[in-house]
Amino acid sequence: MAYFAHKDFFSDTGLYELVQRVMSGELTLSWYQPGTEPARCRPASAARGLTYADCNVGSYGYDAIPEFVRGKNSMAARGSLLWGTLPDIGYTVNRKSDVWSANVVALYEEAKTRRWAPAVDIPWSALAGSARPPVLEAATAQVCTVLEEIALVAMEAPGRWVYLINQEFLEVKSFLCGQMLDEARHVEVFRKRALTGGQGLKRASVPVEQALRELLAADTYPRTSLGINVVLGGLQVALFRHLAAIADNDADRRIFTLSLQDAARSVAYGVGALRCHLAAQPHQAHALCDHLLETEHTIAGVLGSPELCEPLIILSGGGLEAEQRGRGAARLRQWLRQTVDELFARLRHAGLGSYPQESRLPACFAAALAA
Amino acid sequence: MAAISFPSEAFFRELKRLMGERGERFRALGYFDVIFGVHVTPDRPGAPESRFVLGFDVFDCIRADAVAAFGNDVDFVLEGQLAVWREMLENIKGRGAADIAHGINTLTHFGDALRVRYDDPDGHDKLYRFAESIQEFFNLAAHVETTFPGVERAGATARA
Amino acid sequence: MAYLSTRDFLDDKAYLDRWQYTLRTGELDLSWMNVATERIACRPQSPRRGLTFRDLDVGSYGFSEMPEIIRENRSFAPRGAAMPDGLPDAQADVNLKSEVWAYNVEGYYEEAMSRQWNATTDIPWAELAEIELPETIGKAYAQLLTFLTEVEMIATDVPAKWLGRLNADFFEVKNFIATQAMDEARHAEVFRKRALTTGFGLMCASPHNENNLKFLRDGDSFAEVSLGLHLQAEGMVLTLFRFSEFISPTEADKKLFRLVMQDEARHVGYGMQHLKWVIDHFPEKRETIHRYLDEAENFVFGAGYCTEVTEPFIILAGKGLKRENIAEGIRITRRFQLKQIEEYFERLTKCGLPERRERSKLARARELMQAALDTPVGS
Repeated sequence: MAYFAHKDFFSDTGLYELVQRVMSGELTLSWYQPGTEPARCRPASAARGLTYADCNVGSYGYDAIPEFVRGKNSMAARGSLLWGTLPDIGYTVNRKSDVWSANVVALYEEAKTRRWAPAVDIPWSALAGSARPPVLEAATAQVCTVLEEIALVAMEAPGRWVYLINQEFLEVKSFLCGQMLDEARHVEVFRKRALTGGQGLKRASVPVEQALRELLAADTYPRTSLGINVVLGGLQVALFRHLAAIADNDADRRIFTLSLQDAARSVAYGVGALRCHLAAQPHQAHALCDHLLETEHTIAGVLGSPELCEPLIILSGGGLEAEQRGRGAARLRQWLRQTVDELFARLRHAGLGSYPQESRLPACFAAALAA
Repeated sequence: MAAISFPSEAFFRELKRLMGERGERFRALGYFDVIFGVHVTPDRPGAPESRFVLGFDVFDCIRADAVAAFGNDVDFVLEGQLAVWREMLENIKGRGAADIAHGINTLTHFGDALRVRYDDPDGHDKLYRFAESIQEFFNLAAHVETTFPGVERAGATARA
Repeated sequence: MAYLSTRDFLDDKAYLDRWQYTLRTGELDLSWMNVATERIACRPQSPRRGLTFRDLDVGSYGFSEMPEIIRENRSFAPRGAAMPDGLPDAQADVNLKSEVWAYNVEGYYEEAMSRQWNATTDIPWAELAEIELPETIGKAYAQLLTFLTEVEMIATDVPAKWLGRLNADFFEVKNFIATQAMDEARHAEVFRKRALTTGFGLMCASPHNENNLKFLRDGDSFAEVSLGLHLQAEGMVLTLFRFSEFISPTEADKKLFRLVMQDEARHVGYGMQHLKWVIDHFPEKRETIHRYLDEAENFVFGAGYCTEVTEPFIILAGKGLKRENIAEGIRITRRFQLKQIEEYFERLTKCGLPERRERSKLARARELMQAALDTPVGS
């Protein structure tokens, strides 16, 4: 126990007297006239329901949150009357442009409606007794082993920050909860996929985990969001899209398509948050570029790991024969080019246009992609 | 049911109507908030091309219009030759839903069969945020008797 | 940066050369393909339930065979995967199964995934917004909702704080925590939205309860916070939800409380099963548990200061502010408070802590409250 009540209430005669009075009918009604804004929010769209956007009114709304949240360090609901001695809960993230994104409310609402449950939403029985060649199952199992590692870290990232973010940013915290659920779902589905194909899990990846650990260890929330949502999230989108596109059965197509939807939301938030951050704190662009330049090697760590690269070649080419591996390698080269181009496009669009110009990635890939 | 020609505004309006009839399925998939374009390009010089805007809001298709040009409100455009679209739609019709070689994601993935055009990466990413709903929308073509103009299919192949 | 990878991959010539060679030629090492992990093909035991974590409880992959001390895996490696040298230390603080495990945690997770409802669409908001509650009922209800939206997300923040500190082998627990985080965000959302549709908006914060939240947040072990949060706090909130459903002013509000109750019961279930696991496997922890509950119960008793919670309850239960309404409201509220405390002790007894009642000052206080229940209001 680290925090204790300021008194032993069982010895508090004042408390006994108050309770006696109230429970004999002498209500204080101290809360009855708080002076807060009356509100009667209504859904703008009956089909959509009552969204947080509908509740964005007056002092209750997220538009009213100032850039710097001062004097509000408890979990008291935004817009409620603060009175008495409220504790300092211990939030360390109290600046709006460090967390906010113009699309975060819409993305939270979207995440809730687009939920899915791996246990029942994937046709697992379609995989049972499948005549799929063992080598393809092995490759799928290896990819899923790595994807499970990535999902564990992607689940941990919002968890590391959500309790440090000021409660005024309720909608952002709610979105992070949605992210945790999305990634829990990915941990689940990739593990289940690896354990249904007859191969079991394969090998954890040293370069992937070293890369993930570094991305996770960013020391501010904006840097974490950049690394996890934009960079790692972008890799997840690219991977899931590719795996869905080359899937040779309905179950895998569905697994990767549904996972793709989740990952794309994280990317959308990350890009939006970056844009908002740079709009309010333009001087951070240089620091964030530097951060990207320092950490971009993690992209190579993930994509270049044999535990990911090799099974992707097998799956992309359809097998282990020389011709298949050659075709698979060619497709993977094309995919890598596209993935890096898309990452650069997102970052340029968000306001980090100088990064692509200084990045070491194009030079690194040039040799490999020149084939 | 009378056959509807593809590409045409009538075709997409029929998909819109069918989506309304299958509301439960789309509600189960969640909010569907995107506007995208379909650009059917000619297979040979001089042949006509067509552009359509499809708008989705909450759980419904709210717009299915033929347009002369795409505006700034379009998140992305799916572009491809008539033969590719025909092959995809015939696959959907024959199977009840696209098979693994004829899904939108597969056809657009490397831009070989269909290409994704966009100005804003956020708009592009909406193709992925709503991937399953977009596929289900095109799968509605299984319920449409569709005719195609007499065009050759040379040079238009889906994933081998 | 708090951690740097052991190498800069873009500076590692051997790494890049190998990668580029693979991409150019398609020549593969394939050492990952024949690792000595168990080969299995799990199947759903119940087709209607689908493929669950329980179906995956097989051999080295399963949770049943997981040892008490996780000695081998300090990385992000999935349980059962081959672990090559060089995996980073993920710095997990919690590597003892008894700190986190609960009977049926995998079942709670699957249930949570299948029972996710949506505060935006599953409540008839358009209908509720047109209902004019009488001022006393409306304000009392808005105040109750203000309290509820204030406290709910402690049960997001506290488990999330621990999620990354748990060993990766406890992923079933991590996944359950993720569902709880989402459940509580949903609760904070639904109570906030309901308050903002009453016509009265939010009312007063609750300082004493805020201090209770900080006590929960600052627990120094996962087992401790789970005891305080899942079992004690959420257990009492579950009883409160049941009474709130009982005193709700409309049918739609009753539905609201039924939905939140489902989630809360799951969290309490986890808390109970966790405590049961601890007591079954580590009876020497009893004294530590009692000391923690001493302070937790101190906060519970101190909630007598929260007139911003008690009085709205009285008004809602008695349906008004007239003398006879208050008398009835107090009668019902006393019954609720007694039930809340009684159920708390019942849960502890069921988990293997029957002696708590004897040592607890809260139990003594309950006896006084029971006596007061027999005394007419105003006498």
